[in-house]
Amino acid sequence: MGKLPSTLLRRPCLTGRLPTISPGFTHTPLAPLIPSPATTTITPLPTLRPTQVRHATFIPRHRRPYQFTQLVQLSDGSTFTVRTTSPQALYRSDKDSRNHILWNPSEASLRNVEVDEAGKLAAFRERYGTAWDLEGGAGKGAAPAAGDKDAAGKKGEAKDAAAPAQEEEQHDSLVDLISAFATVDNSVKGGMSAKAQAKLEKGKKK
Amino acid sequence: MASLRGLSRPACRLPLSQIARPTYASRPIRCASSQAAEAPPPPDLAELEQSALTTPELSPEEKKQYRPWKRAKERKTQLPGARYQYHPPKFYRGPLHPVQSPPSSDPRARNFVPGPFNLPRLKQTYHSTIAPDLMTLTYMHVPPGTPDKEPADRLRGWDGSSPYHKNRALRGPRGGAELPLIERDIDFTNIPEIKEVTLAMYQPEAQRNPDYLVVARSVLLAITGTMPELTKTKSNVVQWHVREGIKAGCKTTIRGNAAYEFLDRCIHLVWPKIKDWKGIQATTGDGSGNLSWGFEPEDMKFFPEIEFNYWLYPPHMMPGCRVFVKTSATSDRQARLLLQAFGVPFYGPVRD
Repeated sequence: MGKLPSTLLRRPCLTGRLPTISPGFTHTPLAPLIPSPATTTITPLPTLRPTQVRHATFIPRHRRPYQFTQLVQLSDGSTFTVRTTSPQALYRSDKDSRNHILWNPSEASLRNVEVDEAGKLAAFRERYGTAWDLEGGAGKGAAPAAGDKDAAGKKGEAKDAAAPAQEEEQHDSLVDLISAFATVDNSVKGGMSAKAQAKLEKGKKK
Repeated sequence: MASLRGLSRPACRLPLSQIARPTYASRPIRCASSQAAEAPPPPDLAELEQSALTTPELSPEEKKQYRPWKRAKERKTQLPGARYQYHPPKFYRGPLHPVQSPPSSDPRARNFVPGPFNLPRLKQTYHSTIAPDLMTLTYMHVPPGTPDKEPADRLRGWDGSSPYHKNRALRGPRGGAELPLIERDIDFTNIPEIKEVTLAMYQPEAQRNPDYLVVARSVLLAITGTMPELTKTKSNVVQWHVREGIKAGCKTTIRGNAAYEFLDRCIHLVWPKIKDWKGIQATTGDGSGNLSWGFEPEDMKFFPEIEFNYWLYPPHMMPGCRVFVKTSATSDRQARLLLQAFGVPFYGPVRD
Protein backbone atom coordinates (compact mmCIF):
# COMPACT_ATOMS: atom_id res chain seq x y z
CA MET A 1 0.00 0.00 0.00
CA GLY A 2 1.22 3.43 -0.82
CA LYS A 3 1.69 6.33 1.49
CA LEU A 4 -1.64 7.48 2.75
CA PRO A 5 -2.26 11.22 2.63
CA SER A 6 -2.67 11.51 6.38
CA THR A 7 0.97 10.62 6.90
CA LEU A 8 1.98 13.94 5.39
CA LEU A 9 0.12 15.99 7.93
CA ARG A 10 1.41 17.37 11.19
CA ARG A 11 -0.75 18.10 14.18
CA PRO A 12 -1.03 21.86 14.62
CA CYS A 13 -0.14 23.25 18.03
CA LEU A 14 -2.64 25.23 20.05
CA THR A 15 -0.21 28.13 20.51
CA GLY A 16 0.13 28.63 16.82
CA ARG A 17 -0.49 32.35 17.02
CA LEU A 18 2.77 33.15 18.73
CA PRO A 19 5.12 35.11 16.51
CA THR A 20 7.75 32.81 15.15
CA ILE A 21 11.31 33.86 14.63
CA SER A 22 13.23 32.57 11.72
CA PRO A 23 16.05 30.24 12.77
CA GLY A 24 18.64 32.24 10.91
CA PHE A 25 18.56 34.95 13.51
CA THR A 26 19.77 34.58 17.05
CA HIS A 27 17.10 35.45 19.55
CA THR A 28 18.08 38.69 21.27
CA PRO A 29 15.41 39.90 23.66
CA LEU A 30 17.24 43.15 24.31
CA ALA A 31 19.21 44.72 21.54
CA PRO A 32 22.29 46.61 22.70
CA LEU A 33 20.70 50.01 22.50
CA ILE A 34 23.29 51.80 24.62
CA PRO A 35 26.78 51.10 23.36
CA SER A 36 29.03 50.67 26.38
CA PRO A 37 32.72 51.42 25.98
CA ALA A 38 33.56 47.76 26.72
CA THR A 39 31.50 46.43 23.82
CA THR A 40 32.82 48.66 21.12
CA THR A 41 34.83 45.85 19.56
CA ILE A 42 31.84 43.46 19.44
CA THR A 43 30.12 43.38 16.08
CA PRO A 44 26.49 44.43 16.38
CA LEU A 45 23.98 41.59 16.39
CA PRO A 46 21.41 41.53 13.63
CA THR A 47 18.27 43.24 14.83
CA LEU A 48 14.78 41.91 14.20
CA ARG A 49 12.82 43.97 11.75
CA PRO A 50 9.04 44.17 11.66
CA THR A 51 9.01 43.24 7.98
CA GLN A 52 11.18 40.54 6.55
CA VAL A 53 13.64 41.64 3.88
CA ARG A 54 14.36 38.93 1.37
CA HIS A 55 17.06 39.12 -1.15
CA ALA A 56 16.35 35.56 -2.15
CA THR A 57 13.12 33.69 -2.65
CA PHE A 58 12.96 30.10 -1.47
CA ILE A 59 11.89 27.68 -4.16
CA PRO A 60 9.87 25.06 -2.34
CA ARG A 61 9.48 21.49 -3.44
CA HIS A 62 5.82 20.67 -3.93
CA ARG A 63 4.18 18.79 -1.10
CA ARG A 64 1.82 16.44 -2.77
CA PRO A 65 0.66 12.91 -2.07
CA TYR A 66 1.43 10.03 -4.36
CA GLN A 67 -1.25 9.71 -7.00
CA PHE A 68 -2.22 6.32 -8.33
CA THR A 69 -3.84 5.55 -11.63
CA GLN A 70 -7.15 3.96 -10.83
CA LEU A 71 -9.48 2.14 -13.15
CA VAL A 72 -13.08 3.12 -12.48
CA GLN A 73 -15.81 0.79 -13.61
CA LEU A 74 -19.29 2.25 -13.74
CA SER A 75 -22.39 0.19 -13.17
CA ASP A 76 -22.98 -0.27 -16.90
CA GLY A 77 -19.52 -1.78 -17.32
CA SER A 78 -17.79 1.20 -18.90
CA THR A 79 -14.31 1.88 -17.57
CA PHE A 80 -11.96 4.83 -17.50
CA THR A 81 -8.79 5.76 -15.65
CA VAL A 82 -8.39 8.54 -13.13
CA ARG A 83 -5.49 9.87 -11.10
CA THR A 84 -6.37 9.56 -7.46
CA THR A 85 -4.84 9.35 -4.01
CA SER A 86 -6.69 6.12 -3.33
CA PRO A 87 -4.39 3.08 -3.72
CA GLN A 88 -7.24 0.92 -4.95
CA ALA A 89 -6.44 -0.35 -8.43
CA LEU A 90 -10.01 -0.91 -9.54
CA TYR A 91 -13.01 0.98 -8.24
CA ARG A 92 -16.33 -0.66 -9.01
CA SER A 93 -19.31 1.55 -8.50
CA ASP A 94 -22.70 0.07 -7.80
CA LYS A 95 -24.65 3.32 -7.89
CA ASP A 96 -23.67 6.06 -10.29
CA SER A 97 -25.16 8.29 -12.93
CA ARG A 98 -25.72 5.33 -15.25
CA ASN A 99 -28.37 3.79 -13.01
CA HIS A 100 -29.82 6.88 -11.38
CA ILE A 101 -33.23 8.19 -12.34
CA LEU A 102 -32.07 11.82 -12.30
CA TRP A 103 -29.63 11.23 -15.14
CA ASN A 104 -31.86 8.70 -16.97
CA PRO A 105 -35.37 10.15 -16.68
CA SER A 106 -36.77 7.98 -19.49
CA GLU A 107 -35.52 4.70 -18.04
CA ALA A 108 -38.60 2.86 -16.81
CA SER A 109 -36.67 0.25 -14.86
CA LEU A 110 -35.18 2.90 -12.58
CA ARG A 111 -38.51 4.40 -11.67
CA ASN A 112 -39.71 3.68 -8.18
CA VAL A 113 -42.67 1.47 -9.05
CA GLU A 114 -44.42 -0.56 -6.42
CA VAL A 115 -44.26 -4.28 -7.10
CA ASP A 116 -47.38 -5.97 -5.77
CA GLU A 117 -47.63 -9.33 -7.50
CA ALA A 118 -49.23 -11.16 -4.60
CA GLY A 119 -51.68 -8.36 -3.93
CA LYS A 120 -50.62 -8.07 -0.31
CA LEU A 121 -50.21 -4.32 -0.46
CA ALA A 122 -53.60 -3.92 -2.11
CA ALA A 123 -55.17 -6.09 0.57
CA PHE A 124 -53.53 -4.00 3.26
CA ARG A 125 -54.84 -0.82 1.69
CA GLU A 126 -58.30 -2.29 1.40
CA ARG A 127 -58.31 -3.01 5.08
CA TYR A 128 -56.45 -0.09 6.60
CA GLY A 129 -56.54 2.60 3.90
CA THR A 130 -53.68 4.52 2.38
CA ALA A 131 -52.88 6.60 5.43
CA TRP A 132 -49.84 4.41 6.06
CA ASP A 133 -48.30 5.22 2.71
CA LEU A 134 -45.31 7.48 2.54
CA GLU A 135 -45.80 11.17 1.86
CA GLY A 136 -44.66 10.85 -1.72
CA GLY A 137 -46.96 7.88 -2.33
CA ALA A 138 -50.11 9.79 -1.39
CA GLY A 139 -49.52 12.48 -3.99
CA LYS A 140 -48.58 10.09 -6.75
CA GLY A 141 -51.30 7.60 -5.83
CA ALA A 142 -53.13 7.95 -9.12
CA ALA A 143 -50.23 7.52 -11.53
CA PRO A 144 -48.71 4.20 -10.37
CA ALA A 145 -52.18 2.76 -9.88
CA ALA A 146 -53.04 3.62 -13.48
CA GLY A 147 -49.78 2.09 -14.61
CA ASP A 148 -50.55 -1.08 -12.69
CA LYS A 149 -53.96 -1.17 -14.27
CA ASP A 150 -52.47 -0.90 -17.74
CA ALA A 151 -50.06 -3.69 -17.01
CA ALA A 152 -52.90 -5.88 -15.78
CA GLY A 153 -54.90 -5.08 -18.90
CA LYS A 154 -52.01 -6.09 -21.12
CA LYS A 155 -51.66 -9.38 -19.34
CA GLY A 156 -55.40 -9.96 -19.61
CA GLU A 157 -55.86 -11.31 -16.12
CA ALA A 158 -57.77 -9.78 -13.21
CA LYS A 159 -58.96 -7.07 -15.54
CA ASP A 160 -62.44 -6.85 -14.05
CA ALA A 161 -61.10 -7.12 -10.51
CA ALA A 162 -58.86 -4.12 -10.94
CA ALA A 163 -61.63 -1.62 -11.71
CA PRO A 164 -63.69 -1.97 -8.50
CA ALA A 165 -60.49 -2.11 -6.50
CA GLN A 166 -59.56 1.17 -8.10
CA GLU A 167 -62.90 2.69 -7.09
CA GLU A 168 -62.57 1.44 -3.54
CA GLU A 169 -59.08 2.79 -3.34
CA GLN A 170 -60.29 6.17 -4.48
CA HIS A 171 -63.05 6.12 -1.84
CA ASP A 172 -60.64 4.98 0.84
CA SER A 173 -58.16 7.61 -0.05
CA LEU A 174 -60.85 10.29 0.13
CA VAL A 175 -62.00 9.16 3.56
CA ASP A 176 -58.43 8.92 4.68
CA LEU A 177 -57.74 12.35 3.31
CA ILE A 178 -60.54 13.83 5.38
CA SER A 179 -59.54 11.94 8.52
CA ALA A 180 -55.89 12.82 8.03
CA PHE A 181 -56.85 16.45 7.63
CA ALA A 182 -58.79 16.31 10.88
CA THR A 183 -55.93 14.71 12.80
CA VAL A 184 -53.44 17.13 11.37
CA ASP A 185 -55.68 20.01 12.40
CA ASN A 186 -55.84 18.71 15.98
CA SER A 187 -52.11 18.32 16.20
CA VAL A 188 -51.57 21.80 14.89
CA LYS A 189 -53.86 23.30 17.48
CA GLY A 190 -52.14 21.29 20.14
CA GLY A 191 -55.40 19.81 21.47
CA MET A 192 -57.55 21.14 24.24
CA SER A 193 -56.30 21.86 27.67
CA ALA A 194 -57.42 19.62 30.51
CA LYS A 195 -59.76 22.34 31.75
CA ALA A 196 -61.48 22.76 28.38
CA GLN A 197 -61.76 18.99 28.02
CA ALA A 198 -63.46 18.72 31.40
CA LYS A 199 -65.87 21.50 30.51
CA LEU A 200 -66.77 19.81 27.27
CA GLU A 201 -67.40 16.50 28.96
CA LYS A 202 -69.60 18.18 31.55
CA GLY A 203 -71.64 19.79 28.81
CA LYS A 204 -72.04 16.44 27.05
CA LYS A 205 -73.27 14.75 30.23
CA LYS A 206 -75.90 17.44 30.75
CA MET B 1 -32.91 28.30 -22.70
CA ALA B 2 -36.05 26.32 -21.95
CA SER B 3 -34.77 22.76 -21.96
CA LEU B 4 -31.08 22.73 -21.37
CA ARG B 5 -30.81 19.17 -20.10
CA GLY B 6 -29.60 16.79 -22.70
CA LEU B 7 -28.34 19.67 -24.72
CA SER B 8 -25.33 17.81 -25.94
CA ARG B 9 -27.27 14.80 -27.11
CA PRO B 10 -29.45 16.46 -29.75
CA ALA B 11 -26.41 18.36 -30.84
CA CYS B 12 -24.63 15.08 -31.47
CA ARG B 13 -27.35 14.09 -33.88
CA LEU B 14 -27.05 17.35 -35.75
CA PRO B 15 -25.38 16.64 -39.07
CA LEU B 16 -22.85 19.33 -38.40
CA SER B 17 -20.31 17.81 -40.72
CA GLN B 18 -22.83 17.72 -43.52
CA ILE B 19 -23.77 21.34 -42.93
CA ALA B 20 -20.33 22.73 -42.59
CA ARG B 21 -18.15 20.62 -44.83
CA PRO B 22 -19.74 20.87 -48.32
CA THR B 23 -18.97 24.57 -48.52
CA TYR B 24 -15.32 23.80 -48.02
CA ALA B 25 -15.33 20.75 -50.27
CA SER B 26 -16.83 22.63 -53.19
CA ARG B 27 -14.16 25.29 -53.08
CA PRO B 28 -10.83 24.55 -54.72
CA ILE B 29 -8.94 25.43 -51.54
CA ARG B 30 -6.06 23.32 -50.34
CA CYS B 31 -6.34 22.83 -46.62
CA ALA B 32 -3.36 21.43 -44.80
CA SER B 33 -5.67 19.80 -42.29
CA SER B 34 -7.67 17.92 -44.91
CA GLN B 35 -4.57 16.78 -46.74
CA ALA B 36 -2.91 15.57 -43.58
CA ALA B 37 -5.60 12.96 -43.05
CA GLU B 38 -5.14 11.54 -46.54
CA ALA B 39 -1.37 11.44 -46.66
CA PRO B 40 0.55 8.76 -44.72
CA PRO B 41 2.58 10.05 -41.75
CA PRO B 42 6.09 11.16 -42.72
CA PRO B 43 8.88 8.68 -41.90
CA ASP B 44 10.47 10.89 -39.26
CA LEU B 45 7.20 10.93 -37.28
CA ALA B 46 6.69 7.19 -37.58
CA GLU B 47 8.59 6.50 -34.39
CA LEU B 48 5.97 8.48 -32.47
CA GLU B 49 3.40 5.91 -33.47
CA GLN B 50 5.32 3.12 -31.77
CA SER B 51 4.41 2.20 -28.27
CA ALA B 52 5.93 -0.05 -25.65
CA LEU B 53 3.09 -2.49 -26.12
CA THR B 54 3.99 -3.22 -29.73
CA THR B 55 7.66 -4.06 -29.11
CA PRO B 56 8.42 -7.79 -29.27
CA GLU B 57 9.04 -9.62 -26.03
CA LEU B 58 12.63 -10.36 -25.05
CA SER B 59 13.91 -13.87 -25.67
CA PRO B 60 15.11 -15.91 -22.66
CA GLU B 61 18.75 -15.50 -23.74
CA GLU B 62 18.39 -11.74 -23.86
CA LYS B 63 16.73 -11.76 -20.47
CA LYS B 64 19.61 -13.77 -19.01
CA GLN B 65 22.14 -11.36 -20.39
CA TYR B 66 20.45 -8.40 -18.76
CA ARG B 67 21.90 -8.46 -15.24
CA PRO B 68 22.36 -4.95 -13.91
CA TRP B 69 23.22 -6.15 -10.40
CA LYS B 70 26.15 -8.18 -11.75
CA ARG B 71 27.45 -5.21 -13.63
CA ALA B 72 27.24 -3.10 -10.48
CA LYS B 73 29.14 -5.75 -8.50
CA GLU B 74 31.92 -6.03 -11.05
CA ARG B 75 32.39 -2.30 -11.19
CA LYS B 76 35.84 -1.42 -9.83
CA THR B 77 35.27 2.25 -9.06
CA GLN B 78 32.36 3.93 -7.37
CA LEU B 79 29.96 6.00 -9.36
CA PRO B 80 30.12 9.71 -8.56
CA GLY B 81 28.03 10.59 -5.53
CA ALA B 82 25.03 12.78 -5.46
CA ARG B 83 27.12 15.78 -4.45
CA TYR B 84 28.83 15.71 -7.82
CA GLN B 85 25.53 15.82 -9.63
CA TYR B 86 23.79 18.99 -10.57
CA HIS B 87 21.42 20.38 -8.01
CA PRO B 88 19.39 23.44 -8.80
CA PRO B 89 19.76 26.33 -6.36
CA LYS B 90 17.41 26.47 -3.42
CA PHE B 91 16.83 30.19 -3.76
CA TYR B 92 15.87 32.48 -6.55
CA ARG B 93 18.08 35.54 -6.20
CA GLY B 94 16.67 37.71 -8.91
CA PRO B 95 17.00 37.82 -12.69
CA LEU B 96 20.50 39.30 -12.66
CA HIS B 97 22.11 36.67 -10.43
CA PRO B 98 24.61 34.40 -12.22
CA VAL B 99 23.15 31.24 -10.68
CA GLN B 100 19.69 30.71 -12.08
CA SER B 101 17.36 27.83 -11.34
CA PRO B 102 16.03 25.82 -14.26
CA PRO B 103 12.42 26.38 -15.31
CA SER B 104 9.74 24.40 -13.51
CA SER B 105 9.24 22.25 -16.61
CA ASP B 106 12.77 20.84 -16.17
CA PRO B 107 12.68 17.55 -14.23
CA ARG B 108 15.72 18.65 -12.22
CA ALA B 109 14.00 21.80 -10.99
CA ARG B 110 12.93 21.90 -7.39
CA ASN B 111 9.38 22.92 -8.24
CA PHE B 112 8.92 20.35 -10.98
CA VAL B 113 5.63 18.46 -10.97
CA PRO B 114 5.47 15.47 -13.33
CA GLY B 115 2.49 14.92 -15.49
CA PRO B 116 -0.04 14.93 -16.99
CA PHE B 117 -0.44 11.18 -16.85
CA ASN B 118 -3.88 10.87 -18.38
CA LEU B 119 -6.43 12.84 -20.31
CA PRO B 120 -9.46 13.26 -18.08
CA ARG B 121 -12.66 11.92 -19.54
CA LEU B 122 -14.60 15.11 -18.89
CA LYS B 123 -11.91 17.26 -20.47
CA GLN B 124 -11.91 15.07 -23.55
CA THR B 125 -15.69 15.33 -23.76
CA TYR B 126 -15.49 19.07 -23.33
CA HIS B 127 -13.05 19.59 -26.17
CA SER B 128 -14.63 17.09 -28.55
CA THR B 129 -18.34 17.66 -27.93
CA ILE B 130 -19.37 20.26 -25.38
CA ALA B 131 -17.38 23.23 -26.60
CA PRO B 132 -18.48 22.98 -30.26
CA ASP B 133 -22.05 22.31 -29.17
CA LEU B 134 -22.14 25.33 -26.91
CA MET B 135 -20.74 27.47 -29.67
CA THR B 136 -23.19 26.32 -32.35
CA LEU B 137 -26.32 26.12 -30.23
CA THR B 138 -25.93 29.55 -28.70
CA TYR B 139 -25.15 31.17 -32.04
CA MET B 140 -27.18 34.30 -32.69
CA HIS B 141 -26.97 35.53 -36.23
CA VAL B 142 -26.30 39.22 -36.66
CA PRO B 143 -26.67 40.44 -40.25
CA PRO B 144 -23.48 42.02 -41.47
CA GLY B 145 -23.54 45.78 -41.34
CA THR B 146 -25.64 45.88 -38.19
CA PRO B 147 -24.38 48.70 -36.00
CA ASP B 148 -22.96 47.66 -32.64
CA LYS B 149 -25.25 48.00 -29.67
CA GLU B 150 -24.33 50.83 -27.38
CA PRO B 151 -23.36 49.43 -23.98
CA ALA B 152 -25.60 50.55 -21.17
CA ASP B 153 -24.22 53.21 -18.83
CA ARG B 154 -23.18 51.30 -15.77
CA LEU B 155 -21.58 54.22 -14.00
CA ARG B 156 -23.83 57.00 -12.84
CA GLY B 157 -23.12 60.53 -13.92
CA TRP B 158 -23.83 63.77 -12.17
CA ASP B 159 -26.92 65.80 -12.98
CA GLY B 160 -25.05 69.08 -13.32
CA SER B 161 -27.15 70.90 -10.73
CA SER B 162 -24.00 72.28 -9.19
CA PRO B 163 -21.09 73.95 -10.96
CA TYR B 164 -18.81 71.65 -9.01
CA HIS B 165 -20.18 68.67 -10.94
CA LYS B 166 -18.08 69.61 -13.91
CA ASN B 167 -15.26 67.09 -14.65
CA ARG B 168 -16.23 64.91 -11.71
CA ALA B 169 -15.55 61.21 -12.05
CA LEU B 170 -18.56 58.97 -12.60
CA ARG B 171 -20.09 57.19 -9.62
CA GLY B 172 -20.40 53.46 -9.11
CA PRO B 173 -23.72 51.60 -9.02
CA ARG B 174 -26.18 52.07 -6.21
CA GLY B 175 -26.27 49.51 -3.45
CA GLY B 176 -22.84 48.02 -3.87
CA ALA B 177 -19.32 48.92 -4.76
CA GLU B 178 -18.92 46.11 -7.30
CA LEU B 179 -19.62 46.50 -10.97
CA PRO B 180 -21.32 43.39 -12.28
CA LEU B 181 -19.81 41.75 -15.32
CA ILE B 182 -21.37 42.34 -18.73
CA GLU B 183 -22.41 39.09 -20.37
CA ARG B 184 -20.38 38.40 -23.49
CA ASP B 185 -21.87 36.38 -26.31
CA ILE B 186 -20.43 32.91 -26.80
CA ASP B 187 -18.32 32.72 -29.92
CA PHE B 188 -15.27 30.78 -30.99
CA THR B 189 -12.97 32.96 -28.91
CA ASN B 190 -15.21 32.93 -25.88
CA ILE B 191 -16.50 29.46 -25.06
CA PRO B 192 -17.01 29.03 -21.32
CA GLU B 193 -14.70 26.53 -19.67
CA ILE B 194 -13.72 25.42 -16.20
CA LYS B 195 -10.99 27.62 -14.76
CA GLU B 196 -10.58 26.21 -11.28
CA VAL B 197 -12.43 24.53 -8.46
CA THR B 198 -12.01 25.70 -4.89
CA LEU B 199 -12.94 23.52 -1.96
CA ALA B 200 -13.34 25.00 1.50
CA MET B 201 -14.10 23.51 4.88
CA TYR B 202 -14.99 25.26 8.10
CA GLN B 203 -14.47 23.59 11.46
CA PRO B 204 -15.07 26.03 14.31
CA GLU B 205 -14.61 23.24 16.87
CA ALA B 206 -10.95 23.24 15.90
CA GLN B 207 -10.23 26.05 18.35
CA ARG B 208 -10.79 23.62 21.23
CA ASN B 209 -9.59 20.45 19.55
CA PRO B 210 -7.03 20.86 16.76
CA ASP B 211 -7.65 17.28 15.66
CA TYR B 212 -10.64 18.59 13.75
CA LEU B 213 -8.26 20.46 11.50
CA VAL B 214 -6.14 17.38 10.93
CA VAL B 215 -9.18 15.44 9.81
CA ALA B 216 -10.40 18.27 7.61
CA ARG B 217 -7.02 18.66 5.98
CA SER B 218 -6.58 14.97 5.36
CA VAL B 219 -10.06 14.74 3.86
CA LEU B 220 -9.33 17.64 1.53
CA LEU B 221 -5.90 16.24 0.72
CA ALA B 222 -7.37 12.87 -0.15
CA ILE B 223 -10.11 14.34 -2.32
CA THR B 224 -8.07 16.86 -4.27
CA GLY B 225 -4.50 15.58 -4.06
CA THR B 226 -3.20 19.01 -3.09
CA MET B 227 -2.02 20.26 0.28
CA PRO B 228 -4.76 22.53 1.67
CA GLU B 229 -3.98 25.79 3.39
CA LEU B 230 -5.44 26.77 6.73
CA THR B 231 -7.96 29.56 6.97
CA LYS B 232 -8.68 31.80 9.92
CA THR B 233 -11.95 33.18 11.19
CA LYS B 234 -12.68 36.70 10.05
CA SER B 235 -14.69 38.10 12.90
CA ASN B 236 -15.84 37.59 16.48
CA VAL B 237 -19.22 35.95 16.96
CA VAL B 238 -19.96 35.69 20.67
CA GLN B 239 -23.02 33.48 20.30
CA TRP B 240 -21.08 30.87 18.35
CA HIS B 241 -18.00 31.14 20.61
CA VAL B 242 -15.93 32.14 17.62
CA ARG B 243 -13.00 34.47 18.11
CA GLU B 244 -11.26 36.37 15.39
CA GLY B 245 -8.07 35.05 13.86
CA ILE B 246 -8.40 31.41 14.89
CA LYS B 247 -7.40 28.63 12.54
CA ALA B 248 -10.77 27.10 11.87
CA GLY B 249 -10.81 25.65 8.42
CA CYS B 250 -8.91 24.85 5.30
CA LYS B 251 -9.24 25.41 1.60
CA THR B 252 -7.56 24.39 -1.58
CA THR B 253 -7.80 25.22 -5.24
CA ILE B 254 -7.36 22.75 -8.08
CA ARG B 255 -6.94 23.66 -11.70
CA GLY B 256 -6.70 21.94 -15.03
CA ASN B 257 -6.91 18.17 -15.14
CA ALA B 258 -7.47 17.82 -11.42
CA ALA B 259 -10.46 20.16 -11.58
CA TYR B 260 -12.00 18.21 -14.44
CA GLU B 261 -11.47 14.90 -12.63
CA PHE B 262 -12.97 16.28 -9.44
CA LEU B 263 -16.08 17.43 -11.31
CA ASP B 264 -16.30 14.07 -13.07
CA ARG B 265 -16.16 12.29 -9.73
CA CYS B 266 -18.84 14.54 -8.25
CA ILE B 267 -21.20 14.14 -11.17
CA HIS B 268 -20.89 10.44 -11.87
CA LEU B 269 -19.88 8.86 -8.58
CA VAL B 270 -20.77 11.02 -5.59
CA TRP B 271 -24.08 12.71 -6.30
CA PRO B 272 -25.91 9.57 -7.47
CA LYS B 273 -25.06 7.92 -4.15
CA ILE B 274 -26.60 10.68 -2.03
CA LYS B 275 -30.06 9.75 -0.81
CA ASP B 276 -32.97 11.83 -2.11
CA TRP B 277 -30.66 14.20 -3.93
CA LYS B 278 -32.60 16.58 -6.13
CA GLY B 279 -29.79 18.39 -7.84
CA ILE B 280 -28.15 21.73 -7.40
CA GLN B 281 -30.24 24.76 -6.66
CA ALA B 282 -30.54 26.74 -9.87
CA THR B 283 -30.30 30.01 -7.96
CA THR B 284 -26.63 29.38 -7.19
CA GLY B 285 -24.03 31.68 -8.62
CA ASP B 286 -22.45 35.02 -7.89
CA GLY B 287 -23.74 36.73 -11.02
CA SER B 288 -20.46 36.47 -12.90
CA GLY B 289 -20.29 32.82 -13.84
CA ASN B 290 -19.05 31.17 -10.66
CA LEU B 291 -21.34 28.46 -9.32
CA SER B 292 -21.10 26.73 -5.98
CA TRP B 293 -22.62 23.91 -3.99
CA GLY B 294 -21.97 22.01 -0.82
CA PHE B 295 -21.51 18.53 0.55
CA GLU B 296 -22.93 17.53 3.91
CA PRO B 297 -20.60 15.71 6.32
CA GLU B 298 -22.47 12.47 5.68
CA ASP B 299 -22.02 12.88 1.92
CA MET B 300 -18.24 12.99 2.11
CA LYS B 301 -17.97 9.23 2.50
CA PHE B 302 -19.18 8.75 -1.05
CA PHE B 303 -15.95 10.06 -2.50
CA PRO B 304 -13.97 6.99 -3.62
CA GLU B 305 -10.83 8.19 -1.82
CA ILE B 306 -12.68 8.62 1.47
CA GLU B 307 -14.67 5.45 1.01
CA PHE B 308 -11.48 3.42 0.65
CA ASN B 309 -10.32 4.07 4.22
CA TYR B 310 -13.40 5.55 5.80
CA TRP B 311 -12.56 3.87 9.09
CA LEU B 312 -9.52 6.14 9.42
CA TYR B 313 -11.66 9.23 9.87
CA PRO B 314 -13.49 9.82 13.15
CA PRO B 315 -17.14 10.08 12.14
CA HIS B 316 -17.99 12.99 14.43
CA MET B 317 -15.05 14.97 13.07
CA MET B 318 -15.92 14.47 9.41
CA PRO B 319 -16.41 17.95 7.95
CA GLY B 320 -18.72 19.14 5.23
CA CYS B 321 -17.35 20.91 2.23
CA ARG B 322 -18.19 23.86 0.03
CA VAL B 323 -17.27 23.74 -3.63
CA PHE B 324 -16.85 26.81 -5.79
CA VAL B 325 -16.50 26.30 -9.52
CA LYS B 326 -14.91 29.20 -11.30
CA THR B 327 -15.69 29.28 -14.99
CA SER B 328 -14.67 31.67 -17.71
CA ALA B 329 -18.35 32.38 -18.37
CA THR B 330 -19.40 35.95 -17.75
CA SER B 331 -22.88 35.19 -16.42
CA ASP B 332 -24.54 32.51 -14.32
CA ARG B 333 -26.69 31.63 -17.30
CA GLN B 334 -23.71 30.61 -19.38
CA ALA B 335 -22.01 28.87 -16.48
CA ARG B 336 -25.14 26.84 -15.85
CA LEU B 337 -25.23 25.96 -19.54
CA LEU B 338 -21.69 24.65 -19.29
CA LEU B 339 -22.27 22.60 -16.16
CA GLN B 340 -25.54 21.22 -17.51
CA ALA B 341 -23.66 20.02 -20.54
CA PHE B 342 -21.26 18.30 -18.14
CA GLY B 343 -24.24 16.53 -16.56
CA VAL B 344 -24.89 18.59 -13.45
CA PRO B 345 -28.63 18.56 -12.67
CA PHE B 346 -30.21 21.79 -11.50
CA TYR B 347 -33.59 22.21 -9.83
CA GLY B 348 -35.84 25.02 -8.77
CA PRO B 349 -36.40 28.48 -10.13
CA VAL B 350 -33.71 30.22 -12.11
CA ARG B 351 -32.46 33.63 -11.17
CA ASP B 352 -30.44 35.66 -13.61
